[in-house]
Amino acid sequence: MEIKVSALTKIFRSPSGEEVRALKEVDLTIPANRIFTLLGPSGCGKTTLLRCIVGLEVPDSGEIAIGDTVVWSKKQRIFIPPNKRGIGMVFQTYAIWPHMTVFDNVAYPLQVRRLPREEIRRRVRETLKFVKLEGLENRPATALSGGQQQRVALARALVSEPKVILFDEPLSNLDAKLREETRRELRRFLTELRITAVYVTHDRLEALTLSDLVAVMREGVVVEVGTPLDIYFRPKHKFVADFIGKANFIEGTVESTSEDLIRVVTPMGPIACRRAEGLTPGQRVTVCVRPEAIAIDRPGDTSGGTNTFRGRVVSLLFVGENYEGEVAVGKTILAIKTNPAFPIGEGEEVSVYIDPAQCHILME
Amino acid sequence: MRMSGLRPRISPLTFTFVLIVGCLTVGPVLMLILGSFSRGIGAFGVFTVEKYIRVYTDPSLPKILLNTAAFTVGSSLFATALALILAYLNVRTDIPLKGLFHLISITPMMIPHIVFATSWVLLLNPSNGILNLLLREVLGLKSSPFDIYSLGGMILVEGLLDLPIAYLIIAPAMASFDAALEEAAWVSGGSKFRALRRVTFPILRPAILASLALVIVRSLAAFAVPSVIGMPGRVYVLTTYIYRLISLGFMPDYGRAAAVGVSVLVTSTVLVYVYRRLTARSERYVTISARGYKPAIIGLGRWRYPLSFLTSLLFLVLIVIPVLVLLYVSLIPYVMPPSAKAFSMMTLKHWNYVLHDPLSLRALRNSVFLALVGATLGILLSTFVSYIIVRVKSAGSALLESLAFFSFSFPGLVIGIGFMWFFVRTPLYATIWALLIGYIATYLPYGIRPLTSTFIQISEDLEEASKVAGGGFLYTFRRIVVPLAIPGIVSGWILMASMFLRELSLSAVLSRPGTEVLAVQILRFADDSLWGQVSALGIVMIALSTTMVTLATLVGKHIGKSK
Repeated sequence: MEIKVSALTKIFRSPSGEEVRALKEVDLTIPANRIFTLLGPSGCGKTTLLRCIVGLEVPDSGEIAIGDTVVWSKKQRIFIPPNKRGIGMVFQTYAIWPHMTVFDNVAYPLQVRRLPREEIRRRVRETLKFVKLEGLENRPATALSGGQQQRVALARALVSEPKVILFDEPLSNLDAKLREETRRELRRFLTELRITAVYVTHDRLEALTLSDLVAVMREGVVVEVGTPLDIYFRPKHKFVADFIGKANFIEGTVESTSEDLIRVVTPMGPIACRRAEGLTPGQRVTVCVRPEAIAIDRPGDTSGGTNTFRGRVVSLLFVGENYEGEVAVGKTILAIKTNPAFPIGEGEEVSVYIDPAQCHILME
Repeated sequence: MRMSGLRPRISPLTFTFVLIVGCLTVGPVLMLILGSFSRGIGAFGVFTVEKYIRVYTDPSLPKILLNTAAFTVGSSLFATALALILAYLNVRTDIPLKGLFHLISITPMMIPHIVFATSWVLLLNPSNGILNLLLREVLGLKSSPFDIYSLGGMILVEGLLDLPIAYLIIAPAMASFDAALEEAAWVSGGSKFRALRRVTFPILRPAILASLALVIVRSLAAFAVPSVIGMPGRVYVLTTYIYRLISLGFMPDYGRAAAVGVSVLVTSTVLVYVYRRLTARSERYVTISARGYKPAIIGLGRWRYPLSFLTSLLFLVLIVIPVLVLLYVSLIPYVMPPSAKAFSMMTLKHWNYVLHDPLSLRALRNSVFLALVGATLGILLSTFVSYIIVRVKSAGSALLESLAFFSFSFPGLVIGIGFMWFFVRTPLYATIWALLIGYIATYLPYGIRPLTSTFIQISEDLEEASKVAGGGFLYTFRRIVVPLAIPGIVSGWILMASMFLRELSLSAVLSRPGTEVLAVQILRFADDSLWGQVSALGIVMIALSTTMVTLATLVGKHIGKSK
């Protein structure tokens, strides 16, 4: 089911009377049956938005519709409580009930609905099988490992076959290795289910690998929505480019716009960039280049070609799969990544080439 | 689709409980004040200040106020000083038998105050106190060396009774205290005593003041010791003065009783306010300094055994001797020191009397009913109220918290008079339900305290998960909140039930023929010097509360395990 959020505002008031605007007139459409991620630094309002959708938080104004049902509207005075919204949710802490067995934890949403005993048993078994926990029905829920608890939480959210499932940073309590494994598994579960999933995280890698669509949030506002590839390679805002990964930002002025390339004059020299709409010569812009788009070579006779510059290695740091380093081109310092097999050292002269297709002009 | 309005400022639920708790706590206070300005319990509502004038110009009042001041301050100093020494020995030294300290802190749940006070009367009264008789015989004295029926006797017994409260306030403060500060003082050249005086004491000051304030509140409200020990010696304090106004003479004067009661209540409320401010601050101290410091343990050296002998002696005085004295007196025909003759004369006649006395049996039935049903209803109310206090953060829940803890400062006898003004006008008058309502109102904080701390520990996520899974408020409450709060519910229930079983001061006002309770029945027997009966019934009370506490603890453990 599609989720439509319109002009949603949420204000928190501290006991001392201070007001924090956690959400500022947020408009967002979450398409049906996709994995949609809300990504942003802590305090950006992503969890608040999620809690408003499920009904655990009451917004101050705006409207939320799930499918054709308005679940919250200030104007129409509608508030459907969370237990009537039919949404599944996985909490950051898993919120596994410690006084119940695995079976009771998973069966709970069906017991609330007073389904026949036999049907409950069948559906719990099926769901536990789906999350690969069959055979653990009678274990006390607290006797499980972190990863297993996480899957109990998922099973509980899925057992009543909701049309929408919400995740509030579900992987943040797992250790790094388990997190990677669970992420892959979660992706598989969700693709199989064809369900609308809203996923909150501050981890860009999680967002990129899991999602069909990512919404990047900052200070109570959705800055940008796009596919992981769009967000990574073609962000519109500097904040998004910066938040999603390492990037070089080079200020400059548009010199000319041709059919396929745009020339931007920068302190390190003219850079040919990928086409972008709505630019006129003389306009101030920022060119965004990912470190891995910068190719380093021995200084040769390639100088003078498009986007080829002379530079000097300022620093190099071995981080395992590659070197991370800095190269100075004139007064501009560029962050780079190189293959450790390529022998260069600090202080050496190098030639720097940037593929124009990977020089991206930010609109902001 | 269900349409419901936006969330109102105060939810109907919060409002309902504000109303209930308000009626229970503010209600009797209002009635007390209204009553104090009325002509009499039958002529309610006609405004007059006559009662105030009459009672506050009573020539005997100054002496009573002086007695009250000496009694409360004396017990408070005694209990706090003893608690300081005990806490220091337990927390900061290598004294043996530390288990005794825990027992000392939970004793008051087992031995009711009236029973404890009576056993001291049996030991130290001037005419036939067992210890006095023994000493007279051994030392060949003409008269008894001790007279329990005095201000000093009252202070001694009340101080011992309030020792656990003082200990429970001071010991945690002592434990969270950073011993490095003391060491620094020694290193800089001061003597150990100087360090104690200049460093230890000032840091413990909030806890000490809190203990002093709370024990004054308790002894101001105390009725067992003033009635059993003070009245025979004609040492009257405010509670016994009030009691005399409503129980002696042809016409009980509830108006004058209310007029005095108002001042007692105001004093008590002010002191509780001071206490709560002090503990709020000392809790802050604790959280700041509790950075994993372990207080340094001081070796007592050759003082180790003499000091542990003294604490064991205290344990004897607090627990073993009272029980033994009662057991002994319940089995001998009249009070005499233990001797071969006494043991040869042992009889079950007091037990037979008590176990066949219709009044005592009715008192027993009523007390057990009040303890079981009252504690169950009380804990039910406490569960909802604590839940709202902890979970619903609104102006309504803050109001509810103040209302619920208001009764913490209630002296039972005084608030009983407030309830009297109310119940007389309802069909509840002279029924067991009047007592039940009064008990719950007065002891509500004892149910709410353990529950609020339990709810604070339960993660809110667990309830939200239930809501999202489709559970409504009551469903979530029944299946998630209550099962998780069982430990708090059980300890609150135990606390309330044992309080109700031994309740005296409120019952002394509200109990009527037909609604006798155990403590009041013991008071009657004591008034008539029927010490054998007092002792037998006292043993029954101790046995009942011990059984109840043990059973409830076991049940709580069982429920906790099966989950």
